[in-house]
Formats: sequence, structure tokens, C-alpha cells
Amino acid sequence: MKSYSEELLDRQNPDGGWGYGKGGTSWTEPTCYALLALASGEESAPEARQHGLQWLMAGQRSDGGLAPRPGVDESTWVTALSLLMPADLAGGPDRQRAANWLLAQSGRESGFVYRLRLRLLGVRLDPTEQFDGWPWYPQTAAWVAPTALTLLALQKFNRSRSDAQTQKRLDGATGFLLARRCRDGGWNHGSTQALGYDSDSYPETTGVALLALHGSKAPEIGNAIGVAERHLRESHSLEATSWLTLGLLAHGQSPSEVSVMPHQGTVAISLAAIAAAARQGRNLFVS
Amino acid sequence: MSVSLSLTRRQWVAGAAGATVLAGCANPPGKLAPVSILKAASYSEDLYALMQRIIVEHRLDVRGKRVVLKPNLVEFDQNTVINTHPKMVHAALEAFRAAGAADVRVAEGPGHRRVTLDLADAAGYFSTFQQFESLFTDLNLDEVTKVNLVRPHSKLSSLYLPNTVLGCDLLVSMPKMKTHHWVGATLSMKNLFGLVPGGVYGWPKNVLHWAGIGESIADLHTLFPRTFSIVDGIVGMEGNGPIQGTPRPMGLVVAGADPVAVDATCCRIMHIDPRRVSYLTLAAGEAQLREDLIPQIGEKIASVSAAFALLPSLESIRVVNPAPGS
Repeated sequence: MKSYSEELLDRQNPDGGWGYGKGGTSWTEPTCYALLALASGEESAPEARQHGLQWLMAGQRSDGGLAPRPGVDESTWVTALSLLMPADLAGGPDRQRAANWLLAQSGRESGFVYRLRLRLLGVRLDPTEQFDGWPWYPQTAAWVAPTALTLLALQKFNRSRSDAQTQKRLDGATGFLLARRCRDGGWNHGSTQALGYDSDSYPETTGVALLALHGSKAPEIGNAIGVAERHLRESHSLEATSWLTLGLLAHGQSPSEVSVMPHQGTVAISLAAIAAAARQGRNLFVS
Repeated sequence: MSVSLSLTRRQWVAGAAGATVLAGCANPPGKLAPVSILKAASYSEDLYALMQRIIVEHRLDVRGKRVVLKPNLVEFDQNTVINTHPKMVHAALEAFRAAGAADVRVAEGPGHRRVTLDLADAAGYFSTFQQFESLFTDLNLDEVTKVNLVRPHSKLSSLYLPNTVLGCDLLVSMPKMKTHHWVGATLSMKNLFGLVPGGVYGWPKNVLHWAGIGESIADLHTLFPRTFSIVDGIVGMEGNGPIQGTPRPMGLVVAGADPVAVDATCCRIMHIDPRRVSYLTLAAGEAQLREDLIPQIGEKIASVSAAFALLPSLESIRVVNPAPGS
């Protein structure tokens, strides 16, 4: 049976990127996770990593952001994933330009025009909308997963810089995630209620939000850990259990190994490799 | 009636990277394609014969064609009925194969959950289909082509759409008959939201919300006007649909070649006035939604309809005086 690294190397496209499935055209998201997985493993595969980074670098747009794949003419949330690459990897997209693009983005619901409109209409601001997160796609609302991933990316980027403006956005994103918890204490896509009815959390978003809140001492974290452990017992997908494992490890827990369904895309395999390395003390999302 | 290629698909096949589609073309009211209203008491083996009957009644010639079945997969909650029942989709797959289709795939791009196969597993698709993964395309992660909208109803000027759907010969929308807390009802046209790729737009596909939900539904209908529709109304959902509502057994399957006609008929079955559902009036115009312009096969609306519970904010779309006997 192939190791995760061997499987990922086998899936790398001739252009240097990775597709969501084996043989699929290269997209930014699976390429970033595959590179992160290879960087977290013991097999260094320097040529494959360099080739992948070059593919990413070629995809950086003039605004500093990255598109989901070649042919899509819009920079999106995947820009955050490029900032998660270990800083010691040479090549790849220009980090400062990518960070600048991310810092210029925010949820449309936190924009001046939207909030002014609410005020003029006499609508009270939803408490869950008082914090500034990140959208999947420009000019749309902020949601849990892109906010969590951008928080992780900018935390990593800002570690050696300690920029005050960036720190303000990081604090806002932390508040966003804590405010967007579901009634059960975990996270779904970011809508805690639908017309007054409570919504339940999902495994994968609970895992990624918990991971992004790795340094938080907020009292809500204890409950979220319990929810993540429950999801881990009940989930069968490699992607979901990997996020949950990463989230729990980031809070000093010792998540159990679980059996999962055999169907696995590139993102799931990469996350599993990253989670396996995190179990050995090397979590590249936070270190 | 043979299966026709949609305008968008033809342009896409022609290699137009920026295919152009005209929206909002108004035509004088005329007869729409017929709609079948068929009784189906449960998700039993009888569904296989029923699907074959639908293909015959609507003279669908799918010999040698590529067919994509698009169910509605949103979330899973064992306490309610959010998703199209897998038995419905399996019966359709077998029926289209038996009718000579060269390839039949199941494809969906859920709007909330990233892990689509996990959701499909929870919803019973893996236990119903042999080797479901080999039959399934996750439209959220499919290859995409940019399609331009000319004179759109919404604020969208273009959409990236999955090649699996753009390249098929027949798209079959297979929604569940449900109320929807924002647009009144979610049926075959709203089901097309699942074509919009999360890999580009995210989870949820919030770009459609900001562009106008009803308007975006009408635009997607413009892009895929010849979608065949088969609605799972065996057990529908009422109240706070499309996720948190209550199961509503109806024992019906509704099908037809015109999504507007099918959705308008489903609305009448649910005691919702289709002329007060924004995306239907945008897509067809109020005059086109007259009941007498929609030929029916099978049961009469009045004999099978029942008032679906609606949220108080949606009471204005309810049919005021339903036909006698309904």
C-alpha cells in the first residue's frame, strides 16, 4: 500500500500542480494542500515541491491573489492557502502581495454600505455579524471555513512581522469564529440559525475552526472540543476526520484513530498526511 | 420528442470560452410541454416501472446520449427528509440505461457541505447504488467553463459552470418537493443552484444570494431551459424548508420536459400560487403560468393537492381558493 506521500507524488500533474482527483487538471486548493503534506512528511521530494511551487507562482494574479484554477479570472479565498507554505520553501507566490490582497478582503455584510443600509432601514445588526471575517469569493459574505483558513495563514505570515493592522484583522476573525458557533458548540458553514431555528454543526468545519483557534483561551473552546470529539467518533470521511484530528491536536487533545471510507480525493489524502505529521508533533498549519 | 441540446451546451461544444446566452426573451403565452402527475405510494420497486413510464410518456429518446441526473443533496438529518431519495435516482438511472442511454451519471454540488461523498453516504446513496463513487461527479469540484449572461435577471454577468453538465445531452433535475423559507418553494429550477461550483464560489454559493436568489434561479433556467424534471413528491417537506421543515407524505412523482410547467404544477399541488413565486414569473411571465396552458398526464391537481404548511412570512403566496376537492 502506498504511503500518503507516494500517492501524492503519483498524482502530481506534469504542469506541477494537483487536481482534486487523480488525473484531473490542476487547481490551487489541492496543489497547496499537497505541497503542505509533502513539506510535513519525511520524504522531502524537493523537485516535486519546487515544481508545484512554480505552478502556484505562475498563477499569482496582478492583484496579488490567486484564482481557484487557471481560466478563472478572479482571486479568491485560495490565496490564503498559498501563505500556509513553510517560509523556508524557496519560490512560490509573493507572500507580501498575497497577504495584502487578503487584508483588502472582508465579508460584504461588514462593509460600510451594507451597515449604513441596515441602519437606515432600522434593522438591528445581528450579533454574529459584528465581527469581520473573510468570504469565499470577493463581494460576498464572510463564512467560517475561509475565515478560519485566512486566520491560520495570516497568523503564520504575521509571526515574524507583528503588524498592528494585520493583528486587528486576526482579532476580528477570532471574534467572528467564536460568534458563529452553533447551538451545539461546533461550527457549520457559518449560519448558526435559519429564520430563528438553530442549525447543527458539521464535522469538517468544526475541525478547521478549532484548528484556527489554536491559541485561544476562550471558555467556549472546552465545549467545542467535546463536539469535535463526538464528530470524530461519528464521521467516516478522511477529510472530515483529518480536520477534526488537526483541531483537537492543536488544543492539546489526543484524538483517537478512526476508520474511514475508502474514497479519497487529493485534498483528503493531503490533509490526512498533514494530520499524521501533526500527531508526530509537526503541525504545519500552526508552526 | 427527441432530446435537444440547450443553447448554452451547443455554444460550449462549439468551443466558445465565453458562451453567450440571452435571458428574458418574452414570448406570447402558449401551451407548455405536458406534466405527468403520478401516484407512488412509497420508495418501492414500483418506481422502476414508473420511471420507464415517464420516459415513454414524454417520448424521451436518449439512445446513445449522455444523461446527467441531478438530485438535491443538501445536508443530512435523520429526523427529516431533506434530500432526494436515493431509490428515486437509482430507478431513474436504471430506466435511462434501459432506454439506451450511452452514459448515465449522478451529479450534484451541495451548497453547504464540502465533503459531498460523506453527505451522499449519510443520505443512503452508497447503500442503494453499487459503486456509487464511480457513477458520481461532484459538481463542486468539476472542470468549469465561463458562460456569459446577456440581459440577466440577476446582478450576475457570467457564471462558471461544470463541464459535466454543459457537455451532457440531457440534464435531469430531480429535486424534492419542498417549501423554501426565502423563495416559497424549491423544485426543479431551484435545484439548479447545485450546478454552480463551490470550488469557484465556495460553500455556500453566496454569490447567488447577493445577485438575487429568485433572479439567479431564473438565470440558471435560461442557461438550462430544456432540463427534464422528475420531482420526488413521495415524501415532501413543508414548513421551514428546505432543511428544517417537516416531512409531508404526498405519494406523488411529478415530471415533465418544461421546468416552468413542472414547478408551477408542483406549486399548485402544494397550494402555492405560482404567479406569486418570483422566479417563475421572471422565467416565464405571469400569463404563461395559467393552469390551462399546462397539459396534464395522470392525476388531476385537484385530486392530489394539499396545503403545505408555510412560514407566516410566506402566507401571501398561498392559493386563496383552491379548486374544489383539493
